[in-house]
Amino acid sequence: MSFDTPRFDAGRFPVPVREDLTTALRRSWADIGRTGTWWTGPERVAIAALARAERIQRNEAPWSRNRGEPRTALPGKAIEAARKIGADPTHLDRDWAKTTIAELGDAPYVELASVVVTTVAADAFCEALGIEHEPLPEPEPGEPTRKRPDGMGDIGAWVPVQVVDWHRANVARALSLVPEGVRTFFRMVVAMYSGAATDFENMVWDHRPLSRPQVELIAARVSALNQCFY
Amino acid sequence: MLLRASSQAVGEEVDLSAAVEDAADGGVEDGSVLTAFAEAVVRATDDLDAARARALETLGPAKFVEAAATVGIFNGLVRVADSTGIPSDAMMLERTADVRGDLGFNRWAGARSSGVAEAPA
Repeated sequence: MSFDTPRFDAGRFPVPVREDLTTALRRSWADIGRTGTWWTGPERVAIAALARAERIQRNEAPWSRNRGEPRTALPGKAIEAARKIGADPTHLDRDWAKTTIAELGDAPYVELASVVVTTVAADAFCEALGIEHEPLPEPEPGEPTRKRPDGMGDIGAWVPVQVVDWHRANVARALSLVPEGVRTFFRMVVAMYSGAATDFENMVWDHRPLSRPQVELIAARVSALNQCFY
Repeated sequence: MLLRASSQAVGEEVDLSAAVEDAADGGVEDGSVLTAFAEAVVRATDDLDAARARALETLGPAKFVEAAATVGIFNGLVRVADSTGIPSDAMMLERTADVRGDLGFNRWAGARSSGVAEAPA
């Protein structure tokens, strides 16, 4: 099947890349094309394509970007959300989210966000390495399960999150309304940043070539450039 | 802020203003190379090729890949936080209370999600 096509081949990289990192990228990339909990495979790939196309033009004002007619049957709010989260994260606010979530539903919104953030992280990695973006995966057929997890609650976020037995950073439960989205994105987080939970707790790292202060300096600068308060 | 905590853990004092200033090193080894690289990727500026080449030459292949991976994943992580309005963790708010105002963080839109917003600049 098409989703077995190797992605993030080692031969594409200008320098050697850790196998666990390429494995995580391949698996998460393939997940984008799979049937989701709330969106179909073709819809998820369309979300990724919209986010990518908009983010490529991020230095242009939103109203002057070359968008053309979207070749997707996604609802208008989903198209807007994919573009906005992908390219304009500093412009997201509670009022906009409230309107968007009221139309899409909270869980479909969270799944859409999970597809966008996975796409953006992989694309930014490719840009940093100086290689072309990975072609988007071929979508799989299938119907979403539309299954909502138990144990969700309100901690003041725009969407419900896991509240039962939670002892980790809030950002790690931000997408918990869609567990598959958490698995897809945080597989990459482990490989590209944090390592295992025990590594993350340690302030001195020996599992990465860069020191932890070097990694955290990059993290702080990227967060500040995106005006991310979290 | 994990930048400060991780620096203190190795007996170093970091200048946190490096988070908001261009090509600042913050007292971190090869810091200005790392921040210039991150800035060029996020901003998609014309000097990305030069910043990338400098990062690869200075850091070597293994560290360069880690830097690229960190830039990549944090472009995703910031969007996780900002698309869900997830509030900051209480411990992090407490640890950064002394610097957030000076660095301008409290004026960012996302500060409202954590209940500490100031009027925008």
